[in-house]
Amino acid sequence: MTKSRSSIAISLMVGVSLIALTACDEPKVDASVFKDVEQCKNDPMMRSSQCEASFKEARGQHASVAPKYATKADCQADFGDEKCETAPYQTSSGGSVFMPMMMGYMMGSMLGGRSSMMSQPLYRSSKNPSAFRTADNRNVGSTTGRTSVAKSATSRPSFKKSTMSRGGFGSSGGRFGSAAT
Amino acid sequence: MQRIPVTVRANLELAANDHGLEYIAGEGITGWDESACYQFTQRQIKEDIEGPAEEIEDLCLQVVDRAINTESVLQRLGIPDEFWDYIADSWRNNEKNLLGRMDFSYNGNGPAKLLEYNADTPTTLYESAVFQWEWLEHALDKGLVSEGCDQLNDVHESIVAAFSVIGLETLTHFACNADIEDDKGTLDYIEECANEAMLETCFLKMEDIGIDEQGRFIDLDNRIITSLVKLYPWEWLMGEDYASHIPTSGVQFFEPPWKSILSNKGLLPLLWGMFEGHPNLLPAFFEDDPESRALIDTGNYVRKPQLSRQGANIEIVQNNVTLLQTDGPYADKPHIFQGFEPLPDFEGKYPLIGCWMVASKPVGLCIREDNNLVTGKDAKFIPHVILD
Repeated sequence: MTKSRSSIAISLMVGVSLIALTACDEPKVDASVFKDVEQCKNDPMMRSSQCEASFKEARGQHASVAPKYATKADCQADFGDEKCETAPYQTSSGGSVFMPMMMGYMMGSMLGGRSSMMSQPLYRSSKNPSAFRTADNRNVGSTTGRTSVAKSATSRPSFKKSTMSRGGFGSSGGRFGSAAT
Repeated sequence: MQRIPVTVRANLELAANDHGLEYIAGEGITGWDESACYQFTQRQIKEDIEGPAEEIEDLCLQVVDRAINTESVLQRLGIPDEFWDYIADSWRNNEKNLLGRMDFSYNGNGPAKLLEYNADTPTTLYESAVFQWEWLEHALDKGLVSEGCDQLNDVHESIVAAFSVIGLETLTHFACNADIEDDKGTLDYIEECANEAMLETCFLKMEDIGIDEQGRFIDLDNRIITSLVKLYPWEWLMGEDYASHIPTSGVQFFEPPWKSILSNKGLLPLLWGMFEGHPNLLPAFFEDDPESRALIDTGNYVRKPQLSRQGANIEIVQNNVTLLQTDGPYADKPHIFQGFEPLPDFEGKYPLIGCWMVASKPVGLCIREDNNLVTGKDAKFIPHVILD
């Protein structure tokens, strides 16, 4: 399981530096970012019903798209102490799976009352806790309310059913030795 | 069929080095003995080995066809039920198979008797396909064997051709327990054949296979594995942590999942049940089958685990006396009984005749000798020649 952690940690770092390199070049789109549904409702630009519908949409995706870990410690190393929870999944051997807590959500701009994109949950990493990032580790900045984010950050986050891991094969070979017949 | 003494090549150590085989001074090449060869007639090879192997392959495929629709059979073979549909689908989808080796007891006269079918992870492939052939070329050149000697040996060409026909279009992965030199060597050779068929390949250790968020198997560069040539038995795969991901992984395996029915020694009672009396089959029964009683009462039988490797946990009873019993880790696993057909005795050497099947066709011969009736991991490969 150490391997799964390092592979995710590496992708996190690569993600951060990529954003730094490409932030100026990438096309930006309008979006709204809130830490919770109350903050959204208090925004004079937003309608309560929109806030609630978007929050519900993001919340509904949270468990399926959040990054997954086989241990709580690995999750906390990436997202901070007390910032992880148990995911509603099990590893293939029946163990618990952990994921970061949802720390906010992002919705598209409301042109003509229709959101230009699906809402999605946001997270904060332990390395850069002021910035929100998507479930696919795209930095969307620390501004709440109306903001502009890289277009690539608004694409739909991928499903992450089980923790990415290695080492689920090979144990019998260790026990019995040669496969030769 | 004769065992003929042959002069060992003078440059044997060099030959071993060229082929990456282990050479020990004073002992020779590990697992290889060219101080003799077995000589057959054309007729013996054609009518007694090739013909029956092809026929038995056909019977085996009939066993698979029936087994996939019969839960009690799959249960008896010890195949976990979550794989039943998966195995059946692989058969119905006509997933191609590559390699297998049938082992026969044959003494040159009368029908060869099938002892078992190593249909999933057969080894001694390189010795059979390459080293044995090179030995013949050298032996002919130096006059160590009679002029005109031939071999049943189309193994290499057949594997390359099989890979070409299968038509794998993307990167093909190869995996085994890399700590075992024999396994790794065998798989490396199969990979070379794939490369010769212009396939792009990548080797990784079984334990390095990973799984991504969508349940697909990935290599160390996180590339998705779409086809996997494994030298790792199905029964191990089906019992390990990632087992539940196999049916949904989308991976095309070699050997295909349906081969798990043939690589199980439960195949032998299944064959006997469907084709009782076939000249190349020995009576065989599952241990818990009441019909096994009659065989036991003859006082001549072999008891072997349904799943085992390298001659482990085999008991031979002759005239009601236990002639031989080998150790191993499979003692408490399900066993079968099979009629006892002793390997022929050539001055204290007991050759086991293996027939290589590539894409279900008999294409090569592999003779291994041991000092007793059970061919174990210390058996030595003896080359063969065909001469009329």
